[in-house]
Amino acid sequence: MESKNNWKAWLYLAPVIILMAVFTFYPIINTFFISFLKNYDSLTGANKGFTFDNYIDILTPFGKNQTYYNEFMLTALPNTLLLTFVTVPISIILSLIIAIGLNSIKVFKKVFQTIFFMPYVTNAIAIGMVFAVIFDTQYGVFNAIFGVKGFPWIYPNPSAAAGTGLVNYWSAFFAICFYIVWHSLPYKILIFLGGLQNIDQQYYDAAKIDGSNKIKTSLKITVPLLSPQILYIMITSFIGAFKEYNSVIGLFDPKTGGQFDKSTGMENMTTVVYFIYKRMGESKPTLGYACSGAVVLFIIIMIFTAIQFKVSKKRVHY
Amino acid sequence: MEIKINHLTKTFPGNIKKNIPDTTAVNDLNILVEDGTLVGLLGPSGCGKSTTLYMIAGLKAPTEGEIWFGDEDVTHLAAEKRGIGLVFQNYALYPHMTVYDNVKFPLTNLNVIATKKASKILACKKIAELIEYHLDEINKIAEESIYDGKISKSAFARGMVAKYHVVTSIAEKIFHYGFFKLKGEELEQAKLAALSDLNASIEKQTQKYLDKGLTLNDDYEVLENGMPIEEKRRLTKDEIDALVQETARLVQISQYLERKPAELSGGQQQRVAIARALVRKPKVLLLDEPLSNLDARLRIQTREEIRRIQRETGITTVFVTHDQEEAMSISDKIVVMKDGVKMQEDAPQEVYRNPNCLFVAKFLGTPPINVFEGELKGGSLYIGEEKILTDKVFKSEGDKKVYVGIRPEGFILDETKEAKKVLTLNVEAIQTMGRDMSIVASNPHFLGESIKGIIDSEINVPLGDNKVGIRPSKIFVFDGETEKSFYLTEAK
Amino acid sequence: MENNAYENSYSSLTLVLKDDGQSVKQKAKMTKIGNIIGLVLIYIFLAAFAVLMIFPFYWMIITSLKSGLEIKKEIPTFWPQIVRWDNYSQAFARLDFLTILKNTLIVGVFSTLGTLFTTIFAAFAFARLEFKGKEAIFSILLATMMIPGEMMVVSNYVSVSLLGMTGGTNALGAYAAMILPFMISVFYIYLLRQNFKQIPNELYLAAKVDGKSDWQFLWKVMVPLAMPTLTTITILKLMGSWNAYVWPKLIVDGHKELYLVTVGLRETFSTAANIDDYGIQMAATVVVTVPLLLVFIFCRKYIMRGVSRAGIKG
Repeated sequence: MESKNNWKAWLYLAPVIILMAVFTFYPIINTFFISFLKNYDSLTGANKGFTFDNYIDILTPFGKNQTYYNEFMLTALPNTLLLTFVTVPISIILSLIIAIGLNSIKVFKKVFQTIFFMPYVTNAIAIGMVFAVIFDTQYGVFNAIFGVKGFPWIYPNPSAAAGTGLVNYWSAFFAICFYIVWHSLPYKILIFLGGLQNIDQQYYDAAKIDGSNKIKTSLKITVPLLSPQILYIMITSFIGAFKEYNSVIGLFDPKTGGQFDKSTGMENMTTVVYFIYKRMGESKPTLGYACSGAVVLFIIIMIFTAIQFKVSKKRVHY
Repeated sequence: MEIKINHLTKTFPGNIKKNIPDTTAVNDLNILVEDGTLVGLLGPSGCGKSTTLYMIAGLKAPTEGEIWFGDEDVTHLAAEKRGIGLVFQNYALYPHMTVYDNVKFPLTNLNVIATKKASKILACKKIAELIEYHLDEINKIAEESIYDGKISKSAFARGMVAKYHVVTSIAEKIFHYGFFKLKGEELEQAKLAALSDLNASIEKQTQKYLDKGLTLNDDYEVLENGMPIEEKRRLTKDEIDALVQETARLVQISQYLERKPAELSGGQQQRVAIARALVRKPKVLLLDEPLSNLDARLRIQTREEIRRIQRETGITTVFVTHDQEEAMSISDKIVVMKDGVKMQEDAPQEVYRNPNCLFVAKFLGTPPINVFEGELKGGSLYIGEEKILTDKVFKSEGDKKVYVGIRPEGFILDETKEAKKVLTLNVEAIQTMGRDMSIVASNPHFLGESIKGIIDSEINVPLGDNKVGIRPSKIFVFDGETEKSFYLTEAK
Repeated sequence: MENNAYENSYSSLTLVLKDDGQSVKQKAKMTKIGNIIGLVLIYIFLAAFAVLMIFPFYWMIITSLKSGLEIKKEIPTFWPQIVRWDNYSQAFARLDFLTILKNTLIVGVFSTLGTLFTTIFAAFAFARLEFKGKEAIFSILLATMMIPGEMMVVSNYVSVSLLGMTGGTNALGAYAAMILPFMISVFYIYLLRQNFKQIPNELYLAAKVDGKSDWQFLWKVMVPLAMPTLTTITILKLMGSWNAYVWPKLIVDGHKELYLVTVGLRETFSTAANIDDYGIQMAATVVVTVPLLLVFIFCRKYIMRGVSRAGIKG
């Protein structure tokens, strides 16, 4: 019976294994492989042999082609890291506070829960376009509310004189962070709320008996007991933030990737994933750069995940 | 502190939509817990004893009634303001904190009122004293603290704290002198140097106070214009350490302080929970089924321990249990509850000797009391056709149906004893249990499975029908309808 | 003597609560006031964020009904003065909505069906069958969830290019390229396996005794019992196709007749365009967003189940 089950099991698994071999395992190896091929052409598979250039060009200023160094190492990578390290902590802390707040009320709890979950089920691109309208330079409601007429958040002011009214890097950065945080709160709130509901009431009772006030109980009891969820959210949010793409596409124009400051040209809001996809659409044989970019992204994510697991080993209580 | 419970009622609202009626968990309860006593709330599960405890703690709000701590009405005071200690049934130790941090946690929420003391000088004096007179022992502690070829600071501190009852920071300071590295002449010199250092720093400190116009008395209290300075402030790290260590010693968990609760056995967790409740020196200690999660052997040991700790600290203690033996063995007073109503409140032996109703009589005692159907006829008590007793109380009660309870130890089978044989028991089995012997018997008027009796093992009892005598103090008569007792010891 | 002074300094401590000295009434009152203030602050905080969460939806809807003239107003109106339904007819036309809806449905339905089949088979094998290397294979599958999708996308793009599926000239190929790689999801396999595992083993043994084969047991017992999870997978998968952007965009390469909904939306409109466009643009985003919100409202339970399950394992 054991052995009979054995081949049957493989039959059941066959579709998954075949599909994953073709679309997951082979591509991972192939991407590594292509990242070491010179001038790889995605349409024909033609290339000029083994090289380290794909890495040298995007990571160091010593490559033959400075464009990719500028786009990846000087723009996409710093943008991605900055976005990650700003949006992830902010959204985790905010969602934690909101979840704790939601968990401590009774009236309107369901209503609030529904509202806070709404952004999750929306189309990132569509809502990105809505945010673009909200942040519009001339007619945006954001500027109207805060009384800064014509302030260019994501697009230069077309009615300003040439060379003026350009977008400052940090204002565009603010706008995109605002959108990313807005869009990433619901999932985190949901996970935290689930975790909070699993915490045994008796710990709160014990804290009360011990004379602890609500804020202290939250910090010293609730948050540590939520640490498995916090770790999970930290890992998934870091991975998600490193792969930020849709928000850029939604908020800025796909054709420019938020290339907002026309005077400098290269200063834009592209991310690592944006860099990768841009290469794929190109007619030039630049797919090798997409692959080396993907490998670098992969390595960064692995390192960060490993660090978080290591740090959390001491701090996470299961 | 005395606890007074007046007309306490707790009703949990039902749901009209789902046709769930309101449930009354506690109904018009009155209890007096005298200062410094240990009171057990006893009853079967669902009798409202835990709800009562939680209301005393402030974790549940009463529907009606009052709770008084001493001369303060705390009914509407939040739990965190009541300053009590509570040991939860499942201990509720914070799983992410070490035992030390668990015990410490209540202290971080408190203030202290004390006279201002020159604590640094006191510490220096203590260090100097230890170095001067106990250096050999200290170095022995260091030798015993070697782990992986190195002297572990925390192990050394643990040893010092255990032996000299000093705070950890003092132990660590002594560790940093590094006397254990030295020998002979070198050690002697280091010791002298350290002592003169300490003296210098004591003098410096003293001078500092003098410069500010402050003086010190013999207890090293800081005096301003000759008067000690009262202050209300947060606890210092050393004070917290001292209190944690002291409590840890009291409940004997000193060696586990650095562990997490999950690394402890049930009994050890129980002690930690007690330590956490005691560390703040509460005036009231509440325990919710403190022994229910322990195995039988540990249960007996721990209940003695609870008794000892309660005696040593003199804290007014209320504990909840469904185990009558547990309640009887350690309480100064027990309160027996049923369906949210107090049935009886008295000293354990008193309740046992004089149960005021059938429920209490049945609930207390192992093996349980034997209950028979009985009848009062013309001033005499009958079980079936057999006349058991005659008493003037029975006459005044008139003729009626009654329940007759006889404790297992109340049967007399001894031929030599001069007791009237009144009741026929059909003895079915005899088990010897050491000094005592237990008989299993039957009678057509017995309510229940089989009659249990405990008699002296030296008596010979034949199987089959035996006519037995009954000790008057072990027989109780309850009204057939109200189940109230009307034949009490005083009357006998 | 000195010894005592040291020890006394700790044993003589009087521990008190921070509000010691106040009467019980005062304490109770302070607690009550504190609780009310705390609750009010919590509600204010939550309400503020709730407004922030809803605002973009609200703004999207009212802008979609405004004329360009009204959008241009210096002080924005918070309700359209003249409701312009015309924006919607224009949006539908510009999006070529029926075409993108058809494409999305084709891709969505086939990739969902495919996913359901692969997931049911794999989850069954992992939950019920015994075979060598089961745990190892399952761990490897779970590990792939950590690998950023971009690693595969690049190479998959090469593969489908070499097969001539990209460029949009080969419609059937384009559909296949948009469906095949998405016929599998490790997360859903994990989700369904957990669900299958909850089904008591006795049922399986009973079915064996009744002479049912594994195959019959799977379809007659397990699949019906796991229906809620399968519904969750179906809903999330369809939503995924609705929201898919990068991959379909790469595949169809500008061929409008093959656009999926989100690609159509993004490629049809560009931001900072003609101001009269804004109303139409927002009407288009409403068209894309509203079906999602409707699904959310009616299938909330299923969506929440799938999403929150992820966090439990940690």
